[in-house]
Amino acid sequence: MKIGSAADLEAVRQAGMQKLRPGKPRIAVGLATCGIAVGGNRVYERLREIIERDGLDIVLTKTGCIGYCKEEPLVNISIPNKPLVILHKVTEADVEEIVKQVSRGKVPADKALCRVPSWDHVTGCTLEYGKGFSKIPLYEKVPFFKAQKKVILRDAGLINPEDIDEYIAVGGYAAALKALTGMDPETIIKEVENSGLRGRGGAGFPTGQKWRITRDAKADKKYILCNADEGDPGAYMNRNEMESDPHMLIEGMIIGAFAMGAAKGFIFIRAEYPLAIKRLKLAIGQAREYGLLGSNIFGTGFSFDIGIATGAGAFVCGESTALVASIEGRTGRPHPRPPRLTDIGGGLFGYPTDLNNVETWCNVPVIMANGSDWYSRIGAEGNTGTKVFSLVGKVDRVGLVEVPLGTTLHTIVSDIGNGGANNKKVKAVQTGGPSGGCIPLRLFETTVDYESLNRVGSIMGSGGIVVMDEDTDMVDIARYFINFATGESCGKCVPCREGLKHALLLLNRIMAKKGTKKDIETLALLSDTIVATSLCGLGQTAPNPVLTTLAYFREEYDALVKP
Amino acid sequence: MDEPTLDAIIARYDDPAGRLLGILGEIQDEEGYIPRESLAMLAEKLDVRLSQLYSLTTFYSYFSLTPVGDHVITVCMGTACHVKGAPGILEALEGMLGIKSDTSEDGKFSITTDDKKFTLEIARCFGACSMAPVLRIDGNLYGYATREDLPAILAEYGWEP
Amino acid sequence: MTRKEASSTGGAKKQVTVTINGKKYPADEGEILLGVAVREKIAIPHLCYEPSLDPYGACRLCMVEVIKDGKREMTTSCTLRAAEGLEVVTDTPAIVKYRNVLFELYLAEAPKSEVIKEMAARYGVTKTRFLKKLDTTDSLGNKCVLCGLCVRACNEIMGAGAIGFVNRGPYTVVNTPYFEPTKDCFGCGACAKVCPTKAVEFEDRGSERVMTSWSGTKVPLARCDCCGGYYAPKALAISTLAHITPSLREEIAALCPVCRGRRIARDEILAGRGGGAGSHG
Repeated sequence: MKIGSAADLEAVRQAGMQKLRPGKPRIAVGLATCGIAVGGNRVYERLREIIERDGLDIVLTKTGCIGYCKEEPLVNISIPNKPLVILHKVTEADVEEIVKQVSRGKVPADKALCRVPSWDHVTGCTLEYGKGFSKIPLYEKVPFFKAQKKVILRDAGLINPEDIDEYIAVGGYAAALKALTGMDPETIIKEVENSGLRGRGGAGFPTGQKWRITRDAKADKKYILCNADEGDPGAYMNRNEMESDPHMLIEGMIIGAFAMGAAKGFIFIRAEYPLAIKRLKLAIGQAREYGLLGSNIFGTGFSFDIGIATGAGAFVCGESTALVASIEGRTGRPHPRPPRLTDIGGGLFGYPTDLNNVETWCNVPVIMANGSDWYSRIGAEGNTGTKVFSLVGKVDRVGLVEVPLGTTLHTIVSDIGNGGANNKKVKAVQTGGPSGGCIPLRLFETTVDYESLNRVGSIMGSGGIVVMDEDTDMVDIARYFINFATGESCGKCVPCREGLKHALLLLNRIMAKKGTKKDIETLALLSDTIVATSLCGLGQTAPNPVLTTLAYFREEYDALVKP
Repeated sequence: MDEPTLDAIIARYDDPAGRLLGILGEIQDEEGYIPRESLAMLAEKLDVRLSQLYSLTTFYSYFSLTPVGDHVITVCMGTACHVKGAPGILEALEGMLGIKSDTSEDGKFSITTDDKKFTLEIARCFGACSMAPVLRIDGNLYGYATREDLPAILAEYGWEP
Repeated sequence: MTRKEASSTGGAKKQVTVTINGKKYPADEGEILLGVAVREKIAIPHLCYEPSLDPYGACRLCMVEVIKDGKREMTTSCTLRAAEGLEVVTDTPAIVKYRNVLFELYLAEAPKSEVIKEMAARYGVTKTRFLKKLDTTDSLGNKCVLCGLCVRACNEIMGAGAIGFVNRGPYTVVNTPYFEPTKDCFGCGACAKVCPTKAVEFEDRGSERVMTSWSGTKVPLARCDCCGGYYAPKALAISTLAHITPSLREEIAALCPVCRGRRIARDEILAGRGGGAGSHG
């Protein structure tokens, strides 16, 4: 069946709603990579066995991840006219009891994390689940969720990511319909510009401006790309976005392609994400079947399709020219810009190309659905919208956290994350991956936005926040990142290839207590040189972990060296 | 890899975008490494220079040019795993398997035991940071790993002390 | 569409004036600034620049500071294109500071290269604080700085694709696939010709040219029918004759350049005199 009109979409929406609210109990197991790894699959299988064995009228399905990784495996239960209940730390042993309770219209209260009486899917659908279970805490009272604002993760952990109907049920593809049939490219780009959306891949370039440059490039062919190579160690928000809500990304790309005049897009995704690849392929197939990808989308005459290109393990391919080289089948060695990707001669196969991060694309449908006015009221001046962070390391509540930009580190680490794990004292956070820096506790009032993080020597990056506690050796952290960057350097330019190698040798010497004060000075000068002279962003930012630890934790270096 | 299998893989890539890495990735997945004959055959079929393919396979860490053991153990070395003790996990695995790290000349970390049962590798990040430290054996993830867990986990794959 | 096509479109080149260290120089619009400096004999050190290839920007030695709206920005002059009013300065304190560190890195990476030693010394750098690489098995004699010119000459100019980069980051080397002799090399020696540090070596041994830097790849040499000497790789001996008239080609195809020249001269003389025998000895 092809969706050619608003009426068609509405028909599918209603069918999807039947799946989300089947009029009988529905159990959904959180089966993103992390949920599977801690036993989600076994829970799912056990549930299936018992429901079958007892011939119960219960719908069993999969869902993505709501982000509270510490509490996994998570299982959702919705019983008609009752609140949705999220169970946590569910094991196979709990399954028998869960099914027993559910078949009686109840839930095991001791396993319940929280209840959700109604949920705003943001894109025009608020699901009213129902009342009751008043002893189970409300979702918004759970400390981990309280300070969060779910815009990008609005569906994650609630709908079945392998079923396009459920995405459509909660308002999916309505934004694409609105944009393609009711707006012209200029209006769409204006909306994106007015929303203030900036690139979520790290540098924060205004997305609307990039789209406009691509649209204005005069060429008979253009491409759009999605960077799903999520390379920063300690960051996995893109993985979850694709595993839990792949259609959000596809819808964003359809709107972007229409606005920029591209007929083909590619998602460049790392091979290390097999489940995300599988779900994306499935989603693309479903979208094609509905005619949401392919020729003459919504009967507008506009045609667009998406292909998947897999990466093969090279952090440097996050750099735009290296990413394109990789898709073209070359080694990911960056070339000097200009030409930029958006220039004629600079993009994929030489055609003007727009490249955006997964999460950037994911912001597009909600901007189209609710308007730039609505969107720009979220977040801070010049830093609008929300951002998903992966809060990991030595923090108590690990997980994916979505907050408005401009939220302080303190709120994220202490209020949402509950400070250090095992009652240890938090010492610093590292943001922005290998290109970022270490921010000490005394600067935790820093707001998380592109400019504030730059001011303290770090960057936003793709959104990894790794917490360090009192036991963490900061020189070791610096060495860890330099070791990482050395191994991921493409080897083209000398400051990055040789400079990082020697920085690593110096750090090894210092950590082996064989270094001198002079070695620290050499390390600092070498770091400055690498920043100032490297060809691409990898080298230009790789010394940041050294520079920030030298600035904020110099005493740890001094303690290791001879005078 | 025989010719029909390679032809079938090549046939799946009609778009030049993502083609070479996609094909090499499938050969890697199928064989566990990139056999030399497959690379030569591919160069001929696609009319690209062997030096270009060799550059690709040595540049990208996903590819291996040497055969791997029956089971591949990959230790995540992401930041979260690092601060939560991944170096200790790696060290313990090296001890259990009787191999020593960082003996390679190509910068890739991949060592196979003499009996070809296990290959030990590291990864820059699985993106499963919430369960740090994490390791993966033949596609199965093990989160919250401790040194003490390792003998039982490896025993599932036929490891004996 | 290649990058080169894109950058060279636009028809007749407009003349512009650029300022280097306060002095004005004429240039074609879009011309590489380093090329202007080389032409005007302004000393800017560089290793990976080759006018016949696209800008590459790997060696990072040709840093200049661009002055624009009162602000200064450091960039490589091999990737900078001439435009009206472009103003740059060389050898600023910041450039000198960072470039000296780069020279130290080069001295550590290619400790056996006299070219690097001399170049660094010209800028006052004679010692390095960094650990020198000394690899006795290095087929490039610890002289290679990975500027990439040999790889690019082999691939982009000659179209041979015999050598390539192997591995990445600090493990990068240049060599043949599997570090074994390759049949894709036709022994042109362009790699050695473009190498700025004289790291690439080959030698002719009797009937063979041995590419000693490239895993001992051997290329057969063509033998001159006339003098009996080996004069060029076989694959090239034939292709270099392409521009000579077909009637002559067959007759001189198997001769070395010296004998070829003599044979042509003899034939010309004979044709002019209308007869008579002659031969060179």
